[in-house]
Amino acid sequence: MTASRFLIALILCAPGVVRAQTAQLPIATEEATPIGALPPMPLPMPASRDQNYWGVRLQTGERSERSGPENLFAVAAGIDYQLRGGSIYGLTAGYQQRQNCQSTTNCGHALFGARGRFNVFTGGPTVAAIIGDESATTTLGTEIGFGYAPGTSPGVNACTLDVGLPYSVAMLQTVRVVGFSTPGAVWNIDCSAEQTSRTRSLLIGFGGGIQQLGARGLDVNIGAQRILRGATGLQFGISVSWVRLP
Amino acid sequence: MLKSESRSTRRLARWLAYAGICGIAISSAACRHRVTLQEIPADQIETTLFFVGDAGEADPRQVGAPLDSLAVQASESPARTIVVFLGDNVYPGGIPAEGAAEWADARRRLEAQVRAIPPGVRGIFLPGNHDWAAETAFGLYSIRLQEQMIASLAQGRDIRLIPVNGCPGPVSIDVGRLRFVALDTQWWLHSYIVRDSTSRCAATTMGTVTAALRAEVRPPGQGRVVLVAGHHPLMTGGAHGGYCGLTGPYRRFGGSPQDILSGANRTMRDSIRSAFTGNPPLAYVAGHDHNLQVLRGGQNVKFLLVSGAGSASKTECAVRMRESFYVTQHRAGFMRVDILRGKGVLLRVFRYPGTKHGALAYTRWLELR
Repeated sequence: MTASRFLIALILCAPGVVRAQTAQLPIATEEATPIGALPPMPLPMPASRDQNYWGVRLQTGERSERSGPENLFAVAAGIDYQLRGGSIYGLTAGYQQRQNCQSTTNCGHALFGARGRFNVFTGGPTVAAIIGDESATTTLGTEIGFGYAPGTSPGVNACTLDVGLPYSVAMLQTVRVVGFSTPGAVWNIDCSAEQTSRTRSLLIGFGGGIQQLGARGLDVNIGAQRILRGATGLQFGISVSWVRLP
Repeated sequence: MLKSESRSTRRLARWLAYAGICGIAISSAACRHRVTLQEIPADQIETTLFFVGDAGEADPRQVGAPLDSLAVQASESPARTIVVFLGDNVYPGGIPAEGAAEWADARRRLEAQVRAIPPGVRGIFLPGNHDWAAETAFGLYSIRLQEQMIASLAQGRDIRLIPVNGCPGPVSIDVGRLRFVALDTQWWLHSYIVRDSTSRCAATTMGTVTAALRAEVRPPGQGRVVLVAGHHPLMTGGAHGGYCGLTGPYRRFGGSPQDILSGANRTMRDSIRSAFTGNPPLAYVAGHDHNLQVLRGGQNVKFLLVSGAGSASKTECAVRMRESFYVTQHRAGFMRVDILRGKGVLLRVFRYPGTKHGALAYTRWLELR
């Protein structure tokens, strides 16, 4: 328990490499697209394999602790299609803005993304058995996402490809609480007029939430994420999603 | 300085907003209306049904908690009580031909269930896939042998297997407000003969069975409570529903008609659901998956109950889905439905071993009182 707390603290609190002291820190590619601009979410709650489900999603988050005074605030909306109650495919569109932007230009940009999340295993309590909750559900999956953010800097577009291994455990009968982690990797892809360097970054996200909040299709989650590269700070935000049940 | 304070204030406000949303979320979920157990005066209960499924793996050394407790509860008011066994009454392969080595043990398994029905209580057995000789060519004959054996074990009491003679049903029973409709869902999924020269079934095709079911779920009279029962569930978060285990989502490629994801199973479910259109029954009750689930049925049926945890040695995993009201996995148990006079239908789920609060694990008004 202590070791795991230490590990979490280390991941969240470890300083980035070298932090620039400029007032307007360039937005890294990984920060600009949905994978870094928006908070992580758990795998979707299982539903009947008999049907497909449409859903909508609102996400907002702030990337703070970047070096310099500017935080990055983002808001986005998305639509999701849950296939046979398991894997989910979604499209996202949003906007990211520098807070306290002193400039008249380059203060924000749009962002777009597409994501597929695939359930590999959905089963019983596993780790939740430790607390004796026999109603718990464990979900392990894989995900792949593509992100695009035009004009993050003059003449620079951001494109990313990410993969991950999301894992979540949902517990309790009356209040359905879910805890999740979303480790993964993100690659930036050259999609600007000016050639940019290609890099790969690891990322770790985790959070918690409540499923079926008042309505059977409504989930609310909070999540935090750190990209293990540079002065990218800490992402923290909230996601609200709703799935339409037939 | 002022700028810094302003930023701090905004940050604080944002964090408070997050905390507020989370607080509201937690409290509203926690305060969701809960149906508590109410002791109902016995004279207000018109009919009591017990649903237990997949009970055919009885321990040869003891009765077992579910059947023992069910028998005790059912004996309280025998005249108004019906015990329904939801199929897979004899594992692993139904009743074999007399003289087979397995015959005596098959009889022993069935006898354990018949004995759990107290004197004066009506008993109904539905066929499951294992009762159809585990889906083999002997299935039709095995189910007929089981019907005969139950009649023999009943010794004149009102205990029987329906639908009879390997027919698909539906078979309806009216008791007060209750209309109970029994189906043999394995008939839809069986890959070998489902009728022969001795079959005298009222419905012999999928279309005629669906049409007959459509008529049966529209009983005359006001305030009727329609419960339809078959071995195979219309929805489940268990292994047959494509969950539990690494192979869950991919079982569809195996093509077993016993699974929700197979084409034959879907055809059956779609047909049954289509028969409910316009007149949704209160609940469709099934076994097949070895757990206890209470699910939201959707437009065509209000509630879906899965009560397939009659054998302690066979209990399995179940996943809580969006449609789930209640799920218990890896626990044996049964469901009890009390139909009240005038209005009100109360569901109670019992599981074994129970918790410190007892075996009663869940209650819900299926029809508000």
